Amino acid sequence: MQRMEQGMSKTVDLSALPESCISNILSFTSPRDACRSAAVSSVFRSAAESNTVWDRFLPSDYQEILSRAISPPPASILSSKKAFYFHLCDHPLLIDDGKKSFRLDRCSGKKCFMLGARELSIIWGDTPEYWSWDSYPESRFQEVAELLNVCWLEIRGKVETRVLSPRTTYAAYLVFKLAEERQGLGLVPAEVFVSFIGDGVGEVENHNVYLDEYWPSYDPWYPFLSPTVLPPPASLRQPEGQSPREREDGWMEIEMGEFFNDQGDDGEVQMCLMEVKGGHWKSGLIVEGIELRPKQSN
Amino acid sequence: MASSSSSLPSPSSSSSSSSSKKLVLRSSDEKHFEVDEAVALQSEMIKQMVEDGFGGDVIPLLNVSSNILSKVIDYCKKHVDFDSKKKMDDRRRWDAEYIDVGVDELYHLIMAANYRNIKGLLDLTCQKVADTIKGKKPKQIRIIFNIKNDVTPEGEQKIRKEHSWAFE
Repeated sequence: MQRMEQGMSKTVDLSALPESCISNILSFTSPRDACRSAAVSSVFRSAAESNTVWDRFLPSDYQEILSRAISPPPASILSSKKAFYFHLCDHPLLIDDGKKSFRLDRCSGKKCFMLGARELSIIWGDTPEYWSWDSYPESRFQEVAELLNVCWLEIRGKVETRVLSPRTTYAAYLVFKLAEERQGLGLVPAEVFVSFIGDGVGEVENHNVYLDEYWPSYDPWYPFLSPTVLPPPASLRQPEGQSPREREDGWMEIEMGEFFNDQGDDGEVQMCLMEVKGGHWKSGLIVEGIELRPKQSN
Repeated sequence: MASSSSSLPSPSSSSSSSSSKKLVLRSSDEKHFEVDEAVALQSEMIKQMVEDGFGGDVIPLLNVSSNILSKVIDYCKKHVDFDSKKKMDDRRRWDAEYIDVGVDELYHLIMAANYRNIKGLLDLTCQKVADTIKGKKPKQIRIIFNIKNDVTPEGEQKIRKEHSWAFE
């Protein structure tokens, strides 16, 4: 590397290599580098379009994933591997009876999955007084779960590590919206964790997150906690833990935790969000699912 | 390494067993290299030639110079060794040292590996260029690899616009 960058005796133009060699070179870079290299010279530009390059950036098991799609991508896309790659970045593919979605991380080509609400285990989820299942025009899934009223809020998901890209740091995100009318979600923090199942590492580390802003009018206990109607001091409002962030697709998300996927084919990861300590009634949480995607997009 | 063809034993007389069978390669500047068949067969192109019955003669490599050919043979010899021992760490270390070369030499090695179809060497050399490209701007890539910019400013603008996320 050093010798090369010092620029020793340079007389040959690398662009004079056969285009197939340039394609081979680009296939060892990353999707981002390949797109950027297209501006280097005309032979780089045409090499960066080649199927050789983009075939390498597609996950090795994409055919198998495609076979699980409820509706396959348009056939016209499949002839160009590059077009197909970007199609998979921009249009999450519904798979497994429409309960999960699959897409690619644009910069790295790593696999991203979202487990739809129907794929999660939600305590009290089958009890119509507590949770309702509705179709939502803004959701990619047929149904989302809307919290009507519970004290015990617990949502879990799990995924086999073999379906994810190997040797990659993933983070899990709860994807949700808040209903106009809601209560109790910002009162105390919810606990989240992500861990390998049965790896015997011992204590699982919990983190606190706030699904909603702390605001006394949502707090049924507020009159008892404080006689005034002034907003609580900043220190009481989300003193620690994370707040939700808005996504490009209009939903909100909050990170549940991360893990490095080095468990080969045998591992299983679980993701959990619970708020069971407050003991108060909560409502107005609309859950689309849990998304797993690489932590760094580079 | 290089020798004149007159001093070489005829390949057919030296092939008592397959492991000691020799092949003779001739570089573009007319130097001859005698190598074990197993070493030469790392090249898919030579393998094909041997299968087609060219193995008994001197194999001419018209566009590979003697200094590059000797470097390529180094690689093939070492990798025949490695294949029999399976020491991945040694192989990686050796490869890293081997490929620490200037741009010109790298270019010629890629050409030779591509022409002679030596997949291991082709991947090693291409990976080396790829590692250098990673994270760099088009302008830096042009400077490092002495690449003439034949893209018009409008053309470059179009590429940047199409994949603006990659240039952020």
